[in-house]
Amino acid sequence: MSSSAKRSGDKITRSSFFHQIPQLFARLVLGAVFIYASIDKILYPQAFAKAVYNYQILPDFLINLTAIILPWLELILGLFLIIGLFHEGSVWIVTLLLVMFFGSMTFNLARGLDIHCGCFSTGTDGTNNAPMAWYVFRDGLFLLPAFYLFYLTVLGKNRTIKV
Amino acid sequence: MVKVQKKEKIPVAWQVVILLLASAVMGISVNHIRPDPIPLVGDWTPEARITSDSGKSLVISLEEAERLFSSGRAIFLDARSSGLYGEGHIKGAKNLPWQSFEEFVDKVIPDISQDAQIVTYCDGENCSLSEDLARELSLMGYKKVRVLVNGWTIWTEKGLPVEKGSS
Repeated sequence: MSSSAKRSGDKITRSSFFHQIPQLFARLVLGAVFIYASIDKILYPQAFAKAVYNYQILPDFLINLTAIILPWLELILGLFLIIGLFHEGSVWIVTLLLVMFFGSMTFNLARGLDIHCGCFSTGTDGTNNAPMAWYVFRDGLFLLPAFYLFYLTVLGKNRTIKV
Repeated sequence: MVKVQKKEKIPVAWQVVILLLASAVMGISVNHIRPDPIPLVGDWTPEARITSDSGKSLVISLEEAERLFSSGRAIFLDARSSGLYGEGHIKGAKNLPWQSFEEFVDKVIPDISQDAQIVTYCDGENCSLSEDLARELSLMGYKKVRVLVNGWTIWTEKGLPVEKGSS
C-alpha cells in the first residue's frame, strides 16, 4: 500500500489510505451544507431572486434564471458528493461555485454594499456590516474542504504515471 | 506496486455538462409546475419592483415629486440613517430611518395624518430602504405613499432645495 510520500518512478495517487477518512468527511460535510442551503431557495424562489438582485452583480435578465437553476445545482451537487457519483465533475463545480460566492461577498463587503437593503454604507453613518463579514468568513471555511477535495481529485490524478 | 488505472468513466467535461443540464431541467420544470412560478426573465426595473399589494407601481418621477414639493402638499420622509440625513436631506423632509424604524416611528408618525401625501426616498438606484418604509406605512393605513427612486441623488443633481442638520 503506497503512502502519500512521493517516490520517483512509482505510480503516485492521492487516494492512499491516509486520505480516505478526511476525504469522506469533506464530501459528507460539503454535501450536507449544499443540500441544506438549497432547500429554502427551492421553496421560495422569489425571495431568493430578490437576494440575487441585491448582490447587484448579475445583469437583470439573468437574475431569475439564476434563482431558478442555482438551488437545484446545489441540491444535485450535494447529493452526488455524498453518494460519490460524478465525483470529479462535482468537485470542479462545487469549488468554482464556492470561489465565486466568496469572491462576490468579498467584493460587496469591500464596496460597502449592504445586501439586505441594497444600499451602500459610507462608513460614517454607523451601518453595521459585521453580519456580512461573518458570512464571508463562513464561506471561506467551506472553501477548505472544497480545495482539499479539489487537490485530491483533480490535482492528484495528474501525478499518476502510466508504466 | 502498479495500481490499475481507474476503470472507464465519463470524462469530467461531460460530467460537468450533465450536472449543469440536469439542474437547468429540474429548475425550469419545477418552476413551471409550481402554483407560483417566477418568470424566466424578471422585470427588475423600479416601476415593476416597487408596487403596492394590488400591483400598482409606487414609483413617482422627479417631476411629480417636484410638483408635490412646490405645492407644499406632500410630506417627504428620508429613509436613510440619521447620520446621512444630518449631512443633507431634501428641504423640509423628516427623518424616519427604515433601519431604526421602531426608534423613530413614534416621534415622526403622530404628526402625519392618515390621508397625507407621503414621498419616501433614499439614495441609490437599488436602495430598498425607501420602498420598505413605503410598504410599512401603507400597512399602517397610509394610503397615499409614493417612492422617489434614487431620490437623494437625482434631487441634488438637479440642484433642488436641500438643507442640513436634524429636524
